[in-house]
Amino acid sequence: MRSGSVGALPRPGQTWAGWRRAAGTLWGVLQHDRFAFAGIVIYALFVLIALSAPLLTPYDPQQTIISGDQLMANRPPSRAYPLGTTNVGRDIFAQLVYGARPALAVGFVAAFFVALIGTSIGIVAGYYGGWLDAVLMRLADVAFGIPYLPFVIVLVAFLGPSLWNIVLTMALLLWKDTARVVRAQVLTLRERGFVEAARVLGSSPRRLMLVHLAPNVLPIALLYGSLAVGWAILTEASVSFLGFGDPARISWGYMLQDAYISQALSGGAYNWFIPPGVCIMLVVMAGYFISRGYEELLFPRLRRR
Amino acid sequence: MTRSSTRWIAQRLAQMLLVLWVVATLLFLIFRLMPGNPLAAYIDPNFTADQQQALIHEFGLDLPLWQQYLIFLRASAAGSMGQSFFYHAPVAQLVWEALPNTLILVLGAVIIAFLIGATAGAFLAWKRGTALETAGISLALAVRAAPEFWVGMILLAVFSFSLRWFPTSGTASPGAQYASLWRQLTSPDFLRHLALPLVTLVLYLQGLPLLLMRSNMLDVMEEEFIVMARMKGLPERRILLRHAARNALLPVVTAFALVVGYSLQGYVVVENVFSWPGLGRLLVKAVAAKDYPLAQGAFLLIAALAIFMNLAADLFYTWLDPRVSYAKR
Amino acid sequence: MAILALEDLRVEYRTARGTSAAVDGVTLEVREGEVLGLVGESGCGKTTLGRAIIRVLPRNARIAGGRIVFDGVDLAALPEAEMNRYRWRSIAMVPQAAMDSLDPVYRLGDQFNEVLMVTGALSRTDARRRSLDLCDLVGLDRRRLGSYPHELSGGMKQRAAIALALALRPRLLLADEPVTALDVVVQHRILKRLRALAAELSLSVILVTHDISVVAQTCDRMAVMYAGKIAEAGPTPDVFARPRHPYTMGLENSFPNLLRPQETLIPIEGVPPDLLHPPPGCRFAPRCPFAIDRCLGESPALRELEPGRWAACHRAEEAGALRIQSQEAERWRVPVP
Repeated sequence: MRSGSVGALPRPGQTWAGWRRAAGTLWGVLQHDRFAFAGIVIYALFVLIALSAPLLTPYDPQQTIISGDQLMANRPPSRAYPLGTTNVGRDIFAQLVYGARPALAVGFVAAFFVALIGTSIGIVAGYYGGWLDAVLMRLADVAFGIPYLPFVIVLVAFLGPSLWNIVLTMALLLWKDTARVVRAQVLTLRERGFVEAARVLGSSPRRLMLVHLAPNVLPIALLYGSLAVGWAILTEASVSFLGFGDPARISWGYMLQDAYISQALSGGAYNWFIPPGVCIMLVVMAGYFISRGYEELLFPRLRRR
Repeated sequence: MTRSSTRWIAQRLAQMLLVLWVVATLLFLIFRLMPGNPLAAYIDPNFTADQQQALIHEFGLDLPLWQQYLIFLRASAAGSMGQSFFYHAPVAQLVWEALPNTLILVLGAVIIAFLIGATAGAFLAWKRGTALETAGISLALAVRAAPEFWVGMILLAVFSFSLRWFPTSGTASPGAQYASLWRQLTSPDFLRHLALPLVTLVLYLQGLPLLLMRSNMLDVMEEEFIVMARMKGLPERRILLRHAARNALLPVVTAFALVVGYSLQGYVVVENVFSWPGLGRLLVKAVAAKDYPLAQGAFLLIAALAIFMNLAADLFYTWLDPRVSYAKR
Repeated sequence: MAILALEDLRVEYRTARGTSAAVDGVTLEVREGEVLGLVGESGCGKTTLGRAIIRVLPRNARIAGGRIVFDGVDLAALPEAEMNRYRWRSIAMVPQAAMDSLDPVYRLGDQFNEVLMVTGALSRTDARRRSLDLCDLVGLDRRRLGSYPHELSGGMKQRAAIALALALRPRLLLADEPVTALDVVVQHRILKRLRALAAELSLSVILVTHDISVVAQTCDRMAVMYAGKIAEAGPTPDVFARPRHPYTMGLENSFPNLLRPQETLIPIEGVPPDLLHPPPGCRFAPRCPFAIDRCLGESPALRELEPGRWAACHRAEEAGALRIQSQEAERWRVPVP
């Protein structure tokens, strides 16, 4: 067995060879595809902003600013308040910058779980087949039938408006797309010689799934993972906008809700509600760009461009 | 209709009902498992103890859970979903009133988004390699990445508040009366109210058909029969429209179901931005007010709507593509 | 006499790795009413040649030199609008994969009508009548006009493709591997029909194929193509009985012959050259058992050895002796460079 070929059996002690190879390919994609690279840059930028928030602004996002005797409410953008203030005197720029934290947290954590759950279910369903597969896919079908956002609203209202409840709900519903696609991939992989060979040589199912199948479905997992980041952030924003968000955190969605109910629209306070939307848009686009890079890897279209 | 096609439709209907049943059961469980007063699902906390007891008995809430479940199923199937706390009116009635507003918004948006998206996608495929194409794709992606309610807010701020071209909320100006549904749908006042929410939803939905159509067109243009069409001396425009687009459209129509799915998320927030009195807005108000019977009823109807529209999309696709037979599916 | 004359035609493909000439200086003639066979292995440029004649090339290909003289007019130099008037009305093609050449979402009859009414400017009634005639002509059941392409068998699709090609009564038909995808029995039937049609309609046909036996059966004259150039051309019986180019000799060795069943088949070892960087001398030299030093350095020109008999080989005069030697299997075991 040549160890260089795709899907070759790793020698004893080389359990991680498959993973290392997969990681290398994926890293290569990021380096070569311009869009994917741009996506990573945007993520990195926002992570930086989130981490260095205290350095970027002297204000706390919840803090109502009183200067002298006056409440600094509805101030237009100025040197002191780069994006102006809200109707209760909070600095918008501070909210924006600190808002990156819940956004990225929700995005990445939810995406991670969605990818993890979806991939695991996909691998198990694809590998075992039979009744397990049927049950899991029926479950997925039902999940398709449940309207997503309404369900999130109901569950969040029911469980309590906390950020992690939102993440939980998303993970519960969003895994189905990933699972379907991973399962399809596993079904094709199963037919390939190396899986059969590994089984004959006595690999336990767990080892098979972890060492052989998982690295090969990693690109798909990452593709849907990057998409899931976008979905998660948009879901959190929508839920916050509708008033069911986490009141303890100022997220971008919360900012938009705040602006909406505080008549920012009629007041023409574009400085308030434009920036959070732009930030959301950028982060979600970054997710699209990255997933596009992996899509190219999985389904190469040599004829075009 | 052939025998196999009726059988297929029957199968799909059965599937639909199954999913609906699962959803209803889930709802039942969720609302019964509510923390706090387990009776809150049906009893307004403002009643006296005696009144509450009477109601409890009337709704059979002192019965074991499985019996309650059966009653719930029977009642739901019959269309009675309890009484709304907030509005003091039957849930069924409230939900039924909100349904047409949602339908108009969603159906209108999906159809228009498809038409515009597919056309734009074909156009971009035709202009392949130009700066226009890159700009077009980037714009479509950007709009798709933006939160739909934010887009709605911008439209509202610019076109309603600043320019005053459109009203800011609702379906009708105060005091408007309509002789019939058709009258209402075609009245300028209604259409002005519909315009902004519709545009918002369309902007949100068009991304998928656009990108899909463009992608398919580029694939189809490489196909042998397109090359043959050129050899036959047919004019380029004819090839594009009657051959390339027609073939590229088929997979886009499968995405119809997907777009419908997206629209059934999007409208919830859009309705709330524009205070459009549809099911989405009703659901949010009900949940916020802890009006559980109403929330339950609204959710159930939303689920039924989604499932039904998916079935319709499937039927549509099967009719369009002569290669797909009922037997195969 | 010659309805089509290619003069030093050159067609280039631009790829990421460079430019390659799929057709590199081809000179060829097709006479009125004859069936000319064009033989060669995959990648030798014969399909590109056909597409260049009708001028429907992929985006990254272009005619880089030479003339395509059809009825006295150089098609290569025509503006697009004028060239379009020749398409299908004067020159038509039966494509390689008839399966994919029909639009899957339209019925056969509609596709016939389209060509007849749009390109041919016939009225609907005339178009319908012509469609029925065409079906009869190629032996296709008339009821098939109401079918979708996926409902037809391979043979039916091929007949339909031929019928479509003949719809506007072209003068020249380019048939690119018209029967390759079919079973032998159907092949024979369709080829026979094609030959009869050519005679009946005074049609000239260029029959492109890699199968030498098809050429033997159907073509009056034949040309052998290798690596973008013509190796040999002449009347079919003569090329078969007395090949002048080593490649042709090799081809004949590698196809079974019922008259000499005891023979073992001798394949030609090696692969055709990479057209991105073609060798300086004769392109067949690396695989040729008779190559001499001159062959490696100097590319042989296509010469008329006798009237109507052409070959591009420095040793064409010795063909008689070489032919006998080419029967020996060991000669063909050349080391691959």
